[in-house]
Amino acid sequence: MSTAEAAAPGLWTRARAGLQRFGGYLAAMVLPNIGAFIAWGLITALFIPTGWIPNAHLAALVDPMIDYLLPLLIGYTGGKLVHDHRGGVIGAIATVGVVVGSDVPMFLGAMIVGPLAAYLLKLWDEHVGVKVSPGFKMLVDNFSCGILGGIMAVLGVLGIGPAVQWLSGIAGSAVQTLLNAHLLPLASLVIEPAKVLFLNNAINHGILEPLGVQQAAEHGGRAIEFLMETNPGPGLGVLAACMLFGPRAMRGSVPGAMIIEFLGGIHEIYFPFILARPKLVLAAMAGGASGVFTFVVTGAGTTATPSPGSIFAVLALTPKNGFVGVIAGVVIAAVVSFVVGSALFGFGRLEREKNQQVAPVVAAGVTGSVVEA
Amino acid sequence: MTSINGSDVRKLIIACDAGMGSSVMVAAQLAKSLKKYSVRVEHSPVNTIPADADVVLCQQGLVARARRSAPDKVVLGFQMFIGDPLFGQVEAAIRDGAELNG
Repeated sequence: MSTAEAAAPGLWTRARAGLQRFGGYLAAMVLPNIGAFIAWGLITALFIPTGWIPNAHLAALVDPMIDYLLPLLIGYTGGKLVHDHRGGVIGAIATVGVVVGSDVPMFLGAMIVGPLAAYLLKLWDEHVGVKVSPGFKMLVDNFSCGILGGIMAVLGVLGIGPAVQWLSGIAGSAVQTLLNAHLLPLASLVIEPAKVLFLNNAINHGILEPLGVQQAAEHGGRAIEFLMETNPGPGLGVLAACMLFGPRAMRGSVPGAMIIEFLGGIHEIYFPFILARPKLVLAAMAGGASGVFTFVVTGAGTTATPSPGSIFAVLALTPKNGFVGVIAGVVIAAVVSFVVGSALFGFGRLEREKNQQVAPVVAAGVTGSVVEA
Repeated sequence: MTSINGSDVRKLIIACDAGMGSSVMVAAQLAKSLKKYSVRVEHSPVNTIPADADVVLCQQGLVARARRSAPDKVVLGFQMFIGDPLFGQVEAAIRDGAELNG
């Protein structure tokens, strides 16, 4: 199955792997810190003026968490990925710089300066730090981290922070323009295929989440961006179509997959079903776009990224007066992707005919070559 | 392309993009079925596969990344997260001491 691929990985495979790796690093800075995002999302949903139990005293937690805690965690984690704990420390120092140097939540900035500062410290350690005699190592290590970190923080305040704020302002207003023009559902035409190629975390945590945080800070503590990738509806619909009308060999494992996807939030489980029948991506795209359309029309959003994208996480982070839109978007996405998916299977007819012609292929539908592009 | 005898497998890594979702699920399934062969089953992000892994399993779409991250390991790709035939093949190779190539 992988012999040919190992011998001569195609351009597409390499490009996809490269994109996945880059996205993987973005997601790897965010995902280990999701607990803090959820704490922030829950506190926002509870205590802001439009929340369940408005409380100005406790709502004071919201801004420091979004402005400092979350970017610092991302900057620390990004630095740690590059250069272990020392990298994490200098990543956090540098992140304070971009945070102070801008007036918007600095997620993107943290993702840039955290690893960058750690990389510079790594270069220092590898080229200069190693030459220091053991008795002076601690002194040099602490001061190299402190001095380099201090410089990065100052650069962050003066240059990098404002530059990143300008950049994310452009990205944010591009999304806002799409939103105003009711064109946001078109984003699903990119998001859904990218998800299936295992770019799901990259898209969600690398792109949509930073945009959503900015949006939530400016628009009453909720953002549609948090729902665009995490909506468990499209996957549920695709799986339901597979269960009723898909190839017989597929059907057995579908009920378990539906529970894991919709309730457990592990969307990966439906990707192989689409990879095995690529036309199904049309069902996911249609479902995703219908869901986003519903969210736009109803003004729906969540207070943070539901991660994993389980219906429980989605509902837990839905603001008090926002349940109708969120639930409608999930349900409509599931129904649309189910109907389109079922139609693509010819409501069972196509697969039955195929079965009669090439039964062994379908039975072995899980082996390599069918899928690997 | 590397290979390892099933009886030499001590640590099996299930890798996924984040190392927190689907890999945890698959690892839990395999840990159960491989318990009796004294094989440790762990999960990890595909970019940071531990150096002491003997065999790496991941979804076919992540195999290229896994090979780059762990060039000297046996990397095997599966399609489905539940009930993929590869899981049975790996167990059989460990049980019977057969070669695993990847």
